[in-house]
Amino acid sequence: MQTSPIIDFFLGQGVPFATVILILMLPIIATFIAFLRQVVGIKAFGIYAPLIVTFAFLATNGLKYGIAIFVTVIFSGMLMRFVLKPFRLLYLPRVAIMLTAVAMLILGILVIGGEFKRTGLAAVSIFPILIMITIVEKFVAVQIEKGDWAAIKLAIETLIISIVGFFIASSSTLIHFLALYPWIVFLTIPINIILGKWTGLRISEYIRFRKIMRHL
Amino acid sequence: MFEFFKLSRQILGMNARNLDYIRPFNRARAKKLADNKLLSKKILAKNEISVPKLIAKIRTVEELENFDWQTLPEGFALKPNRGFGGEGILVVYGKKKNRTDAWIKADRSIITTEDLKAHIRNILDGSFSLSGTPDIAFFEERLQLLKLFKPYSYKGIPDIRVIVFNKVPLMAMLRLPTKSSEGKANLQQGAIGVGIDIATGTTTTAVLGKNRIIEYIPGTRLLLSGIKLPYWNDVLKLAVRAQEISGLGFLGADIAIDKINGPTIIELNARPGLSIQVANLSGLKERLKKAAGIKIKTVEKGIRVGKDLFGGEIEEELEEISGKKVIGTVEKVKLIGKDGKEIETEARIDTGAGISAIDKNLAKELGFGEAVKIWEDFHLDRVLTEEEIKTLSQNEIWKELEKHPDIVGVAKTFSSHGATYRIEIRLSIIIDNQEITSKLSIANREGLTYSILVGRRDLRKFLIDVNKAN
Repeated sequence: MQTSPIIDFFLGQGVPFATVILILMLPIIATFIAFLRQVVGIKAFGIYAPLIVTFAFLATNGLKYGIAIFVTVIFSGMLMRFVLKPFRLLYLPRVAIMLTAVAMLILGILVIGGEFKRTGLAAVSIFPILIMITIVEKFVAVQIEKGDWAAIKLAIETLIISIVGFFIASSSTLIHFLALYPWIVFLTIPINIILGKWTGLRISEYIRFRKIMRHL
Repeated sequence: MFEFFKLSRQILGMNARNLDYIRPFNRARAKKLADNKLLSKKILAKNEISVPKLIAKIRTVEELENFDWQTLPEGFALKPNRGFGGEGILVVYGKKKNRTDAWIKADRSIITTEDLKAHIRNILDGSFSLSGTPDIAFFEERLQLLKLFKPYSYKGIPDIRVIVFNKVPLMAMLRLPTKSSEGKANLQQGAIGVGIDIATGTTTTAVLGKNRIIEYIPGTRLLLSGIKLPYWNDVLKLAVRAQEISGLGFLGADIAIDKINGPTIIELNARPGLSIQVANLSGLKERLKKAAGIKIKTVEKGIRVGKDLFGGEIEEELEEISGKKVIGTVEKVKLIGKDGKEIETEARIDTGAGISAIDKNLAKELGFGEAVKIWEDFHLDRVLTEEEIKTLSQNEIWKELEKHPDIVGVAKTFSSHGATYRIEIRLSIIIDNQEITSKLSIANREGLTYSILVGRRDLRKFLIDVNKAN
């Protein structure tokens, strides 16, 4: 693979190629998420959650396992809310119990995966799993603030963004391009300045307000 | 397509709201005030603005333990100081009889002191405040529902959201709590938002939740348009005054009308939602731009400008010139039947018909059951052939029918659907505050949208505007 001199320098200093590429991907995925929010109107759980889930997907071997873990986390978060509701616990202890439940469930899934010879699932490294478990807090916060339905909607949006992000970040064309022209990550700054000044309607708002349009 | 984008520029989106209006016009200090209910209550009250009276506040767990529950009145609202979206608010309607430690909630369920304590502990811990920071809980007086709103709202108090910018009231909406919003007047939770004509304070169009346009309260025949809100000028004045005091350049003021104290500010909003545009079927951006350039010194001027720029006034003028009321093709009418029985419904205004017609079932409800029965006994509630009508006339059937005192005449109608032989009854119709004594023919209008049709004979006092949306 052809690489730019600066990349060669990094590699020469002992930084692994995969690490360099992942770090260079970060601003691109972040910009992509910002674009989806400001122009398309897909909210997700802020910028951090879809970003980190994207990278968790990259770190799990195979997208399907990543998705399975994500869905399990959200599903158990939902379930635990109903289970814990009658106890009226304070926020942090409640989240702690939820995290416990989610962690146990994930462990169970790994065991079941092993049982069915799905060794790929059990081989998923622990950090992406831990990252995704912590998404449950974000989920609970939105549940309290905006209700179950909104939380599920945002979780689905997060999942979709992360899947698309996964494909962007694992596209070999983009990886080759970045290896050759790493400086283009700085292009994300002017793009974000434009996004940050963008005052037009979001695509989702054209849909939301279409009924008004007919009456203007 | 080009037209579409041009029109869309009248609508305020999230990006423009945040960047062009909230950022420059709502400074950090003002936002802080709006987010702190106790502080805004205090400052508004100091400026002689009506707010729900504070009963007590609880800042710490010790204060909670030492709190004397007997000092609470019969009814009250318990709120988190930095709550958002109506979360964590608990409304109590009265004390449980024969018990000192229990109250009754809006849904008639019982809540004990222990329950209240647990709820307050949750508030103190920040369960209902954004970002989960520790909070203060407070009790305030419970507002009382105005009789006018009783049929429209479900277990809660409706409020009026007014958007104010540059001292001009731009747009307003009445928010009605519903079953799915659990008595909360918040659109995101499924409440109904009803657009209001700024000039007259009369409701126009409505939206359920964030996006469903509706005409009636779901499951009822209660029309949402045409509700005349009381104290409209005071509501606008309150909203504009609140802007002056709070320093929020772009303000969403939430005002409830209390049975005793009248218009009362319940909350100031530094980040008002955008659904108000759907409720009014109108764009905010256009209005913001129009109101921006004008120099306004007094509250009165601001209200006048708002009414002139954004109110529906053309109709009023026309009414002044012609002396006749302008009505649409569908109008809300009140029918006064036998023994003063009143029914409100919607009527089709049809200048193509001579005589007004009423559905037999509606006539029954108005006390004309006997007359309808006689008519049905003669098997006249159906489409007849011309021959049949001729025979009926020759047999002088009308003599038989008119024996009943309620039947004031008979009418033969011929239309594209066929011929009918109808009886006529007399009742009063009130259209737009005008009472008309009408002779209506009874017809079988089952399957038609409107169970009453008003024809030319009863429309002499009106002008009909086919564009007018009810």
